[in-house]
Amino acid sequence: MTGTEAGPARRIGVILAVLGLAAGPVPLSASAAPTPVPPDTSAAVPGGLVSPATPGAGPGSSAPPSATDPARSRGADLFLRSCASCHGPRGEGTQRGPSLVGVGPASVDFQLSTGRMPLDQEAAQPPHRRPAFSAADIQAIVGHVGSFGGGGPQIPTVGPGDLREGRELFLAHCAACHSAAGVGATLTNGLVAPSLDRSTPVQVAEAIRVGPGLMPAFPESILSPAQVDAVASYVQHLRGDRLDRGGASLGRLGPMTEGLVAWVVGLALLVGVARWLGSRAGR
Amino acid sequence: MTGRDAPDRRERPASAIAAAAFGVSVLGAAGFAAVYAAGGQTQLEGLTLAVAFAGIAFGLSVWARRLLPTGGYVEEHEPFDSRPTDLRLAAEALTGPESPVRRRGLLTMLALALGALGGAALFPLRSLLPFDRVRPVHALRTTPWAAGVRLVRADGTPVRPADVPDGSVLTVFPEGHRDRGDVPAFAVRLDPARFTVPPSGGEVAGVVVHSLLCTHAGCPVALYLQGTARVLCPCHQSTFDLLAGARPIAGPASRALPGLPITVDADGYLVATGDFTAPPGAGFWSLK
Amino acid sequence: MITRWLLRRLARSVDDRLRTAPVVRRVLAAVFPDHWSFMLGEIALYSFVVLVLTGVFLTLFFAPSTADTVYTGAYAPLDGARTSAAYASTVRLSFDIRAGLLMRQSHHWAALLFVGAIVLHLLRIFFTGAFRRPREMNWLIGVTMLALALFNGFTGYSIPDDLLSGTGLRILYSVTQSIPLVGEWLVFLAAGGEFPTDEMVPRMFVSHVLLVPAVLAALIAIHLGILIRQKHSQFPGPGRTENNVVGSLFWPSYTVRTLALFAWVLAVTFALGGLAQINPVWIYGPFDPAQATSPAQPDWYVAWGDGALRLFPAVEFRIFGQLVPSPFLPGVVFGGLTFAGLYLWPFLDRRHGRDRLAHQLLDPPRAHPARLGFGVAVLALFAVLLAAAADDVIATILRVPVLDVLAILRVLALALPVPAGVTAYLVARALRANGGRGVGDLTRADVRSAGRLVCVGSPVGGAPTGIGTPEGTAEPVDADRVELWRDRTGLWRWRYRGASVSLTANRAYPSRAEAERAARTAYGDLSVWEVAPPGGRPGAPAAVAARAGRAAGRVGGYLALAAVAFWRARRDRRR
Repeated sequence: MTGTEAGPARRIGVILAVLGLAAGPVPLSASAAPTPVPPDTSAAVPGGLVSPATPGAGPGSSAPPSATDPARSRGADLFLRSCASCHGPRGEGTQRGPSLVGVGPASVDFQLSTGRMPLDQEAAQPPHRRPAFSAADIQAIVGHVGSFGGGGPQIPTVGPGDLREGRELFLAHCAACHSAAGVGATLTNGLVAPSLDRSTPVQVAEAIRVGPGLMPAFPESILSPAQVDAVASYVQHLRGDRLDRGGASLGRLGPMTEGLVAWVVGLALLVGVARWLGSRAGR
Repeated sequence: MTGRDAPDRRERPASAIAAAAFGVSVLGAAGFAAVYAAGGQTQLEGLTLAVAFAGIAFGLSVWARRLLPTGGYVEEHEPFDSRPTDLRLAAEALTGPESPVRRRGLLTMLALALGALGGAALFPLRSLLPFDRVRPVHALRTTPWAAGVRLVRADGTPVRPADVPDGSVLTVFPEGHRDRGDVPAFAVRLDPARFTVPPSGGEVAGVVVHSLLCTHAGCPVALYLQGTARVLCPCHQSTFDLLAGARPIAGPASRALPGLPITVDADGYLVATGDFTAPPGAGFWSLK
Repeated sequence: MITRWLLRRLARSVDDRLRTAPVVRRVLAAVFPDHWSFMLGEIALYSFVVLVLTGVFLTLFFAPSTADTVYTGAYAPLDGARTSAAYASTVRLSFDIRAGLLMRQSHHWAALLFVGAIVLHLLRIFFTGAFRRPREMNWLIGVTMLALALFNGFTGYSIPDDLLSGTGLRILYSVTQSIPLVGEWLVFLAAGGEFPTDEMVPRMFVSHVLLVPAVLAALIAIHLGILIRQKHSQFPGPGRTENNVVGSLFWPSYTVRTLALFAWVLAVTFALGGLAQINPVWIYGPFDPAQATSPAQPDWYVAWGDGALRLFPAVEFRIFGQLVPSPFLPGVVFGGLTFAGLYLWPFLDRRHGRDRLAHQLLDPPRAHPARLGFGVAVLALFAVLLAAAADDVIATILRVPVLDVLAILRVLALALPVPAGVTAYLVARALRANGGRGVGDLTRADVRSAGRLVCVGSPVGGAPTGIGTPEGTAEPVDADRVELWRDRTGLWRWRYRGASVSLTANRAYPSRAEAERAARTAYGDLSVWEVAPPGGRPGAPAAVAARAGRAAGRVGGYLALAAVAFWRARRDRRR
């Protein structure tokens, strides 16, 4: 019975630290934690809605023809420097990259603004990264690619959408691959439906219309513009930890991570306590 | 109360620690009440409540470990073999002259009565089955899809072949049966030239319709991989090749997704010409 | 002082009516053996209590119905939407009812801990052979409780009627439906029709909050009743025999210890419930048979079944033209075999070891290499199955093809258990051959020689030490003896004096004969010496009670001081 106080005190410290780790970034206030939005695209209004006053990613909804001369030359310059080695000097495509003729501004803007293009090395599925170009440069490249040939979806203008409708549409059309929590999931061959945690409303709308990679495209016959706005709004609502009212999200990966935490944190703590209780003080 | 005999020197820190822990528990409980009264906040509620219980727990733990003895006692454990007299007396009591065990005839009739009652008691179990509906086998084999039933979207609007876009998939239902579990199907437009096995339900201008339910365990095969024309089940990763008659190519499913035979009605909308080519969803004993 | 007087008055008046003193005296003095692993079952017990407490709160707000309801409340994306009453009320519990989410999450975490603690408890009993005679009955009850816990966990997970659990329920429906001959009727009997029916949620609810908990509570009572009647088993050690229990007193040592554990379980569940999000059904959305979310998994305790469904190849065959669907073998047969194996284990083990004796002393796990090896092999298989249930999560995180993960796990499921079991077997044999050394002290040569012993042909599995001779009976050493004395109050007490330990009897006896009989029961033919009363033992019950009383008084004093200070501060502020 000569136990020192340092023993229990230190152990309590460890326990608290473990609990803290388990809690992770606990959103102690469920109210509007501002969502970080990359500066290159439209701003998110605190409510998760997108201001109608900020149209799409700079280029405007009817972009290419109105591009001015300096922009075009800047676009051509950037394209030749960063894109032409794979897609060809006129976007006709090479063995290393697909043709860009007729893909449409939405597709180009999506690939550039999510940083998926340009690629420094070939990858089956380029990840979402910081964009390599400024908003103005992306606008210029979009304009230049548009000059290769017309057609393809335009960059959508995203307005505020109905959250409830957005949730319903998201569950019906998106959740199977991107997960109801928006964290993404695996497909075949190591490809994944990516997490939507960094997607801006315009990027969401572009992806819906374009259908990049394995994703199906959703033309207006399936989702009207208002419905796309709703989905984009709901995705903004899903982003960040705003919906993690219950505490640390554990990656929103579902029951398996919860089970892991139950064992690694909960049961480990309780077994540790049982061992501690079962040992004699001072031994 | 405590001053009568001075406590052991070693006990003083232990009891002080335990008392402090109980004090912390009081603070936690008060904090919980305050958080609740202030409108509630899940994390703070959990934290304060956890502190309240952890304080008690820690205090009791210190109490048990430092102020109470561990070990050092022994209790005898009598063997479980009863004494022969006990055994004999118990047996006599059970089977003595007045014991019911000796009344064979009475017992037989009682057993018969109880057995009949038990059998009768099984009948209300039948109430758990749907009375007014068809036999399970028939229900599992059939769906409301039938000749002339229109394909509608989730919101109830009918579908023209042109509404099924390239590179995408449309979930469809039989008109008027949106919420049933066995009806969901999906329409997809494919290039008829690429079919290696003709779709079981036929195609209308490249549009084919299959059951959405995996033939393994019935989950919706809602992951459509554009370009490869494959669908993937989110539950157990069964993969179906729509170009080869929706036959399973990976995972635990072993039957193809049933097709829905379709045509176009007079108004230009897609309609079924019959039920699925096979019962949809998971298999069962009398599946033909 | 007043407290003690009140207690004495109360005890006296109860005793006058029920004559409780003899029973209370025995119960309070009961000895419980000291080992941390004996508290694993208590973790499960207290998790059950937490489940009942939080569950009662939840039932007051949960609406067990699939009736169409319009949710209106704080969760904006669902505000004004039509969903089932079950789903709407679960979201309301999470967003609109104060402390509702804390209770919901704590309930769910407690469920995960409950089953986890049961599994740990089961493993302890398995590896130490505590299921042997006379405790087979408690093993059977325990396995039944495990099955009920799994079932109740699954129904609890399913009743919110959300998209994720609805998908899981559909899988369970399909697995049940796959049973030859009766499957179709079984699912219709259970669910009242073709999936999904309106009867499912209310039926699962009744089962979840009434039927299964009531049966569980009854089984827990029987489990503990049998434990008290049979007394707890103990590990071998100095002074420990097949006819005694060595440890601490129930009152006060174990009472305080177990209450501490109860409070720890509450603290951990509420900490997890408040800080770690679990089953956010508002994100998953309401169930719709045409929708899916991925990754899709059940809770961990049934995930082994889901893993088996994923791993098992696509095997479907026909008998007499009738279909045996693919979920039947991995779902029904494997699950059935698992529980059949658990139920039969005490009898299989008894046959294998030819050991029919009653045991109060436990096997150290190493003492029974075959049992250890078998257990480790089965655990390895279940670990692979759990990993298989998470194959899509693993594939997402590692960005590797999910079918490759599946292929690797299929190989592991076949290749891992046997080597793992054999390794455990050899290590156990080597440890047994080397006496008291730990795993860390083993050399490769030790394990190799253990393997060689097997090859040469000593019986595989090794005869358990208990055959023929009563296991672990204290070897009569010169120092071993029983001492008897008459204490100051005229009662008789005894103690065991061994070479390394001295163990005091837990009770006092009115006569010398009774004390001697108890001592002889515990220690057989050890010599009994009558001695002078030994000096005041620090841990003697009276002293302990006094000390506990003092500590309580101290604590009460501090609390009173704090209360007075608080009250004064308030009064000052008012002024």
